Amino acid sequence: MSARSLGYCDGLPRRDLLRIGCAGLFGTGVTLPSMLRADEQRRDRDGVSLLIVYLKGGLSTIDTFDLKPDAPAEFRGEFNPISTNVPGILVGEHLPRLARQLDKFSLIRSFGHRNSNHGEADHYMLTGYHPVAGFNPTMRPNNQRPSHGAIVARSLGPRGGVPAYVCVPRMHESGGAAYLGPAAEPFVIEADPAAPGFEVPDLLPPLTLDSRRLGSRRDLLAHVDRYQRSAEAEANQRAATTEAFRRRAFALMTSPEAKRAFDIHAEPDAVRDAYGRHTLGQSCLMARRLVQAGVRCVTVEHTNWDTHDNNFAMLKKELLPYLDSALSALFADLAEHGLLETTLVVVTGEFGRTPRINRNAGRDHWGPSFTVALGGGGLRGGVVVGRSDARAEKPADNPYGPEDLAATMYHLLGIDPDDEFHTPEGRPVKVANQGRLIRELL
Amino acid sequence: MLLARLNAGCLTWLAVVAIANASNDLEQSDALRLAVEPSQVTLSGRDARFNVLVDGQRADGRTIDLTRESRYRSSSPTVVEVSPEGVLFARNDGAADIEITACGQTAVVHCTVSGTGRPIQYNFAGDIVPLLNRFGCNSSGCHGKAEGQNGFKLSVFGFDPAADYRALAMEDRGRRVFPAAADQSLLLRKASGRAPHGGGIRIDPLSREYRIIREWIADGLRFGDAADPYVIGIALAPRERLLDFRATQQLRVLARYSDGREVDVTSLARFQSNNESLATVDESGLVTAAETPGQVAVMAGFMGQVDLFQALIPRPGPRVKIEQVVESSFIDRHVAAKLEKLNLAPSSPADDATFLRRVYLDTIGTLPTAEEARRFLADTRDDHRQRLVEELLVRPEFADFWALKWSDLLRVDRIALGHKGAYSYYRWIRESLAANKPLDRFARELLTAEGPLAESPPGNFYKVVQKPGDMASTLSQVFLGVRISCAECHHHPYDRWSQSDYYGMVDFFAPLSRRPSAHGEMLIAAAAAETKHPRTGEIVEAHPLGAPTTEPSTGDRRGTLAAWLTSPENPWFARNLANRVWAHFLGRGLVEPVDDMRATNPPSNPELLDALAQHLADHQFDLRALIRAITASRVYQLSSRPNETNERDEQNYSRALLKPLSAEVLLDAVCQTTGVDEKFAGVPEGYRAVQLWDSGVSHYFLKLFGRPVRQTPCECERNTEASVAQVLHFLNSPRIEEKLAHESGRIKRLVAQNADASELVDELYLTFFSRFPEPEERQLGIEHVVGASDRRQAAEDLAWSMLNSLEFVFNH
Repeated sequence: MSARSLGYCDGLPRRDLLRIGCAGLFGTGVTLPSMLRADEQRRDRDGVSLLIVYLKGGLSTIDTFDLKPDAPAEFRGEFNPISTNVPGILVGEHLPRLARQLDKFSLIRSFGHRNSNHGEADHYMLTGYHPVAGFNPTMRPNNQRPSHGAIVARSLGPRGGVPAYVCVPRMHESGGAAYLGPAAEPFVIEADPAAPGFEVPDLLPPLTLDSRRLGSRRDLLAHVDRYQRSAEAEANQRAATTEAFRRRAFALMTSPEAKRAFDIHAEPDAVRDAYGRHTLGQSCLMARRLVQAGVRCVTVEHTNWDTHDNNFAMLKKELLPYLDSALSALFADLAEHGLLETTLVVVTGEFGRTPRINRNAGRDHWGPSFTVALGGGGLRGGVVVGRSDARAEKPADNPYGPEDLAATMYHLLGIDPDDEFHTPEGRPVKVANQGRLIRELL
Repeated sequence: MLLARLNAGCLTWLAVVAIANASNDLEQSDALRLAVEPSQVTLSGRDARFNVLVDGQRADGRTIDLTRESRYRSSSPTVVEVSPEGVLFARNDGAADIEITACGQTAVVHCTVSGTGRPIQYNFAGDIVPLLNRFGCNSSGCHGKAEGQNGFKLSVFGFDPAADYRALAMEDRGRRVFPAAADQSLLLRKASGRAPHGGGIRIDPLSREYRIIREWIADGLRFGDAADPYVIGIALAPRERLLDFRATQQLRVLARYSDGREVDVTSLARFQSNNESLATVDESGLVTAAETPGQVAVMAGFMGQVDLFQALIPRPGPRVKIEQVVESSFIDRHVAAKLEKLNLAPSSPADDATFLRRVYLDTIGTLPTAEEARRFLADTRDDHRQRLVEELLVRPEFADFWALKWSDLLRVDRIALGHKGAYSYYRWIRESLAANKPLDRFARELLTAEGPLAESPPGNFYKVVQKPGDMASTLSQVFLGVRISCAECHHHPYDRWSQSDYYGMVDFFAPLSRRPSAHGEMLIAAAAAETKHPRTGEIVEAHPLGAPTTEPSTGDRRGTLAAWLTSPENPWFARNLANRVWAHFLGRGLVEPVDDMRATNPPSNPELLDALAQHLADHQFDLRALIRAITASRVYQLSSRPNETNERDEQNYSRALLKPLSAEVLLDAVCQTTGVDEKFAGVPEGYRAVQLWDSGVSHYFLKLFGRPVRQTPCECERNTEASVAQVLHFLNSPRIEEKLAHESGRIKRLVAQNADASELVDELYLTFFSRFPEPEERQLGIEHVVGASDRRQAAEDLAWSMLNSLEFVFNH
């Protein structure tokens, strides 16, 4: 991979690029005030982006990031540890390529929380808040509290010609904005970047229209819409917002930078192959392209890691090869493009899996102890934080949980974890629910 | 207790008449009467303080606040100290005169101080809880949230002093408070920043409040007992004011205690504005008006009691003259009276084409066809607008459209009810609307439904909403506009509702259960069910909101509730329904949000809301009669074009507001104008989106444009905010393009039928915009079509630009 594959124009530094030709932005909802605020912010701050690789169903970290070779056979599992490019840190044997990138990220092995149900645990990890009474996990979205991406979008606003918060390839049920409003809702790709004809819906006019007709339509619209720039529209916030969005939509459609960000086909084959030609790999590649173009938070959701049956076969044959290629390429690629320092990558599921192997050679849900992998964004790489006990059943020292992860993430993103938002009933809710900074990584 | 005792009857006005040269804000008037209230203050006890309010009365009769403009001087600062903001602090026993100077005039407040040497025995419930409130310790973002904070949990807003006392004084081996060395108590060390505290520094160690907490701890942590005086009410001063743009107004909060004392608690009260774009309030109770004309309410809360200050903020400048119309309706009279007070001129009346499109979309959620538009625009009868409304009210689309609205609120849900149950529930709603069932009867049928669900469709409500608590809060919110769910766990922070009120409502629904029977699932009201207050454990008998507890009784008492709820005397039912319908047609409720009626969120035009509610009650809760009255008003028929006086007004109906079309209405509009139906999963061909009774039917467009998922009874679930993705969909979606270019679509047909370019352009304008083009618009259209090599493509492009216009996607 070379600087060419970046898709940057003529080697301009990223910061400058973001200021050029990036008048557009979109999202499933961005209000005018937040847009204006964002424009203001863009002038004086760039900042760290957040990239969450969410392994839905629950990654078995006892088989990947925290092996227990000395535990009894009914805990240990089938996989052996291998060494990494950081002396003393071992990972599972089915992550050989990722093992060579371990200097770029760290492992929190004393991570855990109190919930081992899908839905609740998802909400806990993706928002930093444990759900309370009345939580309905089947709702889409089910957010009682805003997701991390929504908080980032609301706090920092969009940057450049791209939305602030994007979900690839779809939105997790807990990825919504709750009471932060549509301005903070994610832009959802709703298409598989690994599909041969992948494209983002509605981003470009139908191919049946030639450029002459497109131009003619634009001219017509400027004349036909008498409410455009009218006193009515100006005196009405919703109309003014729609009007502003239309300008942004046009800018986005004609912005080569934004278009390029979504055009995964422009990526050299070698790069696409390195990430792996599967949904997780291409989603991670898309995430890198988006972060590069200025997206502040990308959530890659990959499913299904819920290995109740045949845990080892599933991991070995399918899931870990996906993860190995996607993550190893992601960390290497980010570093190569100088993006690692400004991109915080968090890799986690909603929980880990039971250390004790069940009758179906599977592992069940386990919230009390698992490993979260995270790197970039100014964090130290190649560090192991804390440890789990001998059977990985609970943290053995210095336990961290979703609140601490959230506090640390917002600290790195430059968002005050104590900032408050208000629910529709007027309850103030902080960005992060207290939580300690994970100082070992700072 | 903390205390400034007022002499009985001392709330008299002292007026000093003088002439002053006004500064800044006061330039409008040279003549001012300075008025200080009260003239005499008694401060009792060393903690006593008192907020003086200084008014100036202008020659034009207006009263303005001079509290922050005045200079204060105490004749004896060792007796009474006075802050630059006009707050008096007791120092030592004695008497002092406070000289107040503003605008060259002087007034004097006589002040006596007593009891400063008397020891004060602080108690937890009366003295400490208000401080925990004031410093936000027990707010729902901190220790007041359900799970507490860092192992320390307080009841939110201090509604449960006994539990808070246990948490503070006993839990965690008592380390939070340490009477032997009070300053070393964790409570004070954390709150003052001497120990790491996630909530930051909350209390200044040199403050009076810190001292009070320290002395309470050192004194042995007295809880207090039933004999201690308690707060029975609070009173804000002033209650009402006219404020200029950018003007300020200091508020004072007096608490009345059960022993008859009145105490200034301004520094301990919470304040909140109900419209921040009109006026804000800070924590000292200083209200600051913005630069938008309108009516705003500021709430003060203290120890579960609330009171209200209301301000009218008129537009500055020469008085506008509002033309009086002889035959104007009660609606027009009330709105005109308000506009006159605010010095706003209404926009001009809307033309026929605008009225046509507006009244179609508002009444039946459907665009007029080109043919309907032609017919109406050619109708020269005087009463053609009224006739049009009558036509619309009997169309089947009326029932479809209003059934959709009610199905959202009453949560018709196929997943919860199954196909059959959801459909019969929906049919009951739709048929009720089609038959013009009085809304009170509609509510009664829902409230008292019982028996086999197959025979009693409204009974399905109790299957979608399963818990008695949710039933009570949903029905309160839908039919009364009163949100009581806060009171499930604690006293409502902005209203009078306590947990007893909440559980009194819940108890009506406690006996309900669903059982299998020979006739399928049955809804029955079993006898044995009692509702307990979660804190006291006492049994709460069913009683409607604000009504006395009924005699203890068993069985199904929902009939009592239904009778109370739908009675014309019910203070909320008719007002809530009137407000919802008004908001639907005018784009904004008299109370906003529409389902949040409470004393602290007053209507922007209470006389109008009362009149609309009265109209409903007088007409046997006839929805169509109310719609007739609203649509016939001049207010509804105003243009959306602002004039120089009302461009900032969105609150007072001085112009029509642009309303976004709802997802279903917009999709139907696209289908109708392009002449290509949408096919929805699970329903027969030809169904319009407005007719979809299942909000779960998967559809990208409907989801993108904010269709609600019907998980709550809140109108806010329908997302009406715009997004770039919506704009992109209209610009680029192949689905829209298909409709424009469809072989059996309208565009192709119109091109074939209209060889004349002018006629073709007229037809397109009538179809998409329900109006004829202006001459220059027609000219532009003709040139576009005539100059094109492909007429059909040219027409498609013109239609595309219309679909993408604000004029299409908004109701204006």
